[in-house]
Amino acid sequence: MKRYELTEEGKDYLKNGLPEKRLVDILGKSKSLPFDEAKTSVDNFYIALQWTLKNNWVKSTGKELTLITYPNEIPQQNALEKIDRDEEVDENLVDILLQRKLIKKIVVSEADKLVGQEITNLTPQLLKSGLWKKVKFKKYDVNASVAKIYPGKLHAYRQVIEEIREKLIGLGFVEAKGPLVELNFWNADALFMPSDHPARGIHDIYMVKEPKEGKVLDKDLWRRVGDTHEKGWITGSKGWGSWDFELAKRLVLRSQTTAVSARTLSKLKSGDIPHKMFVIDRVFRPDVIDAKHFIEFDQCEGIVVGEGLTFRHLLGYLKEFAQIIGAEQVRFKPSYFPFTEFSTEMYVYFKDLGWVEAGGSGILRPEVTMPLGVEVPVLAWGIGIGRLAMLKLGINDIRYLISDNLDWLRNKEMVK
Amino acid sequence: MPIITHDKKDLLNLIGTKLSTQELEEVISLIKPNVESSTETEIVLEVTPERPDLFGIEGLSRAIKLYLGLSGFKNYQVLNSKLNIKATHIPKRPYIAAAVIRNVSMTDAFIKSLMNIQEILAESIGRKRKKVAIGIHDLDGISQNISYVEANRDEKIFPLGTNEEMTLIEVLEKIPKGKEYGHLLAGVEKFPVFKDANGIFSFPPIINSDRTRVTEKTKNLFVELTGLDKKAVLQTLNIIVTNFAERGCIIESVKIFYGDKFEVTPELSPSYVDLGIGEINKLIGLDLKKSDVIGSLSRMGYGATDNKDVLRIYIPQYRTDILHKIDLLEDVAIGYGFNNFIPHLPNIATVGRSHPIEKLSNKVRNLLIGFGFQEIIRPILTNRRNMFDRMCAKQENIIELENPVSEEYACLRNWLLPSLVEVLSANKHVEYPQNIFEVGDAVIPDYQEETMSKTVRKISCSMSHSKASYDEIKGVVESLLKQMGTDYAFKENSSSTFIEGRQASIVVKNNIVGFLGEINPEVLDKWGLEMPCAAFEIELEKL
Repeated sequence: MKRYELTEEGKDYLKNGLPEKRLVDILGKSKSLPFDEAKTSVDNFYIALQWTLKNNWVKSTGKELTLITYPNEIPQQNALEKIDRDEEVDENLVDILLQRKLIKKIVVSEADKLVGQEITNLTPQLLKSGLWKKVKFKKYDVNASVAKIYPGKLHAYRQVIEEIREKLIGLGFVEAKGPLVELNFWNADALFMPSDHPARGIHDIYMVKEPKEGKVLDKDLWRRVGDTHEKGWITGSKGWGSWDFELAKRLVLRSQTTAVSARTLSKLKSGDIPHKMFVIDRVFRPDVIDAKHFIEFDQCEGIVVGEGLTFRHLLGYLKEFAQIIGAEQVRFKPSYFPFTEFSTEMYVYFKDLGWVEAGGSGILRPEVTMPLGVEVPVLAWGIGIGRLAMLKLGINDIRYLISDNLDWLRNKEMVK
Repeated sequence: MPIITHDKKDLLNLIGTKLSTQELEEVISLIKPNVESSTETEIVLEVTPERPDLFGIEGLSRAIKLYLGLSGFKNYQVLNSKLNIKATHIPKRPYIAAAVIRNVSMTDAFIKSLMNIQEILAESIGRKRKKVAIGIHDLDGISQNISYVEANRDEKIFPLGTNEEMTLIEVLEKIPKGKEYGHLLAGVEKFPVFKDANGIFSFPPIINSDRTRVTEKTKNLFVELTGLDKKAVLQTLNIIVTNFAERGCIIESVKIFYGDKFEVTPELSPSYVDLGIGEINKLIGLDLKKSDVIGSLSRMGYGATDNKDVLRIYIPQYRTDILHKIDLLEDVAIGYGFNNFIPHLPNIATVGRSHPIEKLSNKVRNLLIGFGFQEIIRPILTNRRNMFDRMCAKQENIIELENPVSEEYACLRNWLLPSLVEVLSANKHVEYPQNIFEVGDAVIPDYQEETMSKTVRKISCSMSHSKASYDEIKGVVESLLKQMGTDYAFKENSSSTFIEGRQASIVVKNNIVGFLGEINPEVLDKWGLEMPCAAFEIELEKL
């Protein structure tokens, strides 16, 4: 491989001789010449002068140049020729020629080395130099294993939640939120759950240690709810016969998103009706912790508020939700929730799974809606979103929904 | 909800007609209870709590017969037993009710059912015997002079299921039922008892006497109930006696004297409600004729007569769940059959939208995914050790639980970073870099609020790998905030969670909205982490 090449000046000297060679050649004919005449007869005279003086070939009086000895050989001229022929040259001479800028190192690009070769990587240099035309591309083992890539992505459970949110918004539902620490009043009393309802005990609801009580913001509302519990107020109900005001003030962790529905209803003005609302959010309930149970989980529920709504309409919405979650058939069964009457549970049919319980729903009781200031029917429904996500994700342990297992999160395929 | 196991053979005997397992399960589920499982001999049901009349096998068989049209509305007859009880007012258990049941033919199935129904009613309506406790006795073991009085602690009873007579206080201290329910009598000097000429035969709400034990030879029963809630006491009695009537027994009333005044229990004449056909159809959403409605109501056990413009609907006394006419409307629909309705989606045009904080959260999630972070979702419940001690952070005022089920989950998180670090500590064997984030809720005390606290949405991100650094995480924070169109500044911060001099507060509009830094090796050490980690946290609503 060629290491040096001649510069333009070097090529000139190769062809016409080094300046010092030309000077001694001229002096060789007449032994001496006046300085000025010699100066005009040789190109690059001062270079020639410098080297002939240095080598003691010539002496100068300032007015006249005289040949001392005609060199038998001029090593630099030979070296120049050898380099041109790509032959080995003494390193000292190479250095001199490099200093004189008569030769230069050949910079061989990696790409140039590859001409005719089989290459692995196609580089910008190959493309830029056009060298890509002169190389062969090595064939890869297309089945060879490669480094793993983990994309940044949403939690698999989030993907299920987002799909449902999107569809509910598409159906005209407005998303609502509410506080995680809640007053018993909103979590139970406003929903006509009697003060001594079993699900309000310490085994079924988390109580806040401190402070124990929240604020009564709307005293009239509280009175209406209390009267409804005690003797039905003007709702036409018998009521429960008693109400525990102190218990209603107790702060708890929200155990059902229906608390958010109650808050939403209490704020509705007549101009807001018809109204559709949904919430997907966290609730808390004391429980054992195992594959089927955890102490916090998400609920997805909603209400439809409107004049003239009926039980048949409720079933209409449920059927629609069944389609949203990809079910093929839907079946209804009577059920019970303290705050709804009618109450129904929805069972849906998936091809791979068969019949699955999908959620509960009903028409809110007048004992719930009237004290909150709503005079029209309110359809209410809930989808078991955690359970649905487990089905969709093919998991049988609820704890994966809040998983700390990074391997699982990274490798879980996207939700279709 | 109560889970109740029934003897299938007894159930089918009571129904009195042949039903295949599938037919039986189908009709039960149409009425309401959920069939949990079923074998050759047993059927396990989940019964909704508002229908205690369906807890017992007799009440269940009645509902099935009605639904199948094998029987109709029942107006239960109550004869007069001429039995009197002399009652004193006992503040600890002020209300009592009683009945006599005759013509009993005891079978194993009946005895089993009798024990079941007492247990489950006292547990549910009775709120673990507090509101209502039930005693069922062999009437023929009781002499005529029955009284409900307070007894001294050293008076004696021969408790059911024991071998010896003992004092009342010994009952509370020695036998299991005494230990279990003794708290209901806490703080009283004297205890409520039923006595006859031979002494105490019932010690409510604890135990009956052996003397009045019900056996296979029992012909007549005495049923007594005591409790704190008069309505619940009377309703429970109604359910028990009408159940027995389904086995062909005769119900007789008892007169309870409070001094000169008296009450007669049970009272089984039906109440009624008038409902217009229009009112019914309006909420159900069908165009049912009167005859259809009467048919549906009959299948649900109601009597109904056409009373000109309205239907007069008679409600049997075992239906303790009817608070409002809406409850009758539901039963019309159940009688009609939910699956006979053609669902109809109403045409109500409303504009849907996501909540602003969820919308913003999703935009942030998308950006963080773009940076290559994996989203995690973690519990909001946690503990002080994880949130403060193991983060080398100062203890703060947070929302704690009075009744945690586990020390691991004893309070609500007020920041998210400990949740992320916890995930890192669970994944030490998993490939690095581990770049994760959560956009989720935390709760902070705030006494200005109705609930004395505020739910806040936070973003937290951590980067864990061999070269994780302040600069790297700062790059993420800057990019995120720029993309969100927020002007920001960084200010030196000194928290023990991060390395001194390698941490900052994030300042937006002169407010500190979050922080970032390289996590203090002491924190990493506490979590057993051997990989550097840099992280940030921002309160989303402050941006």
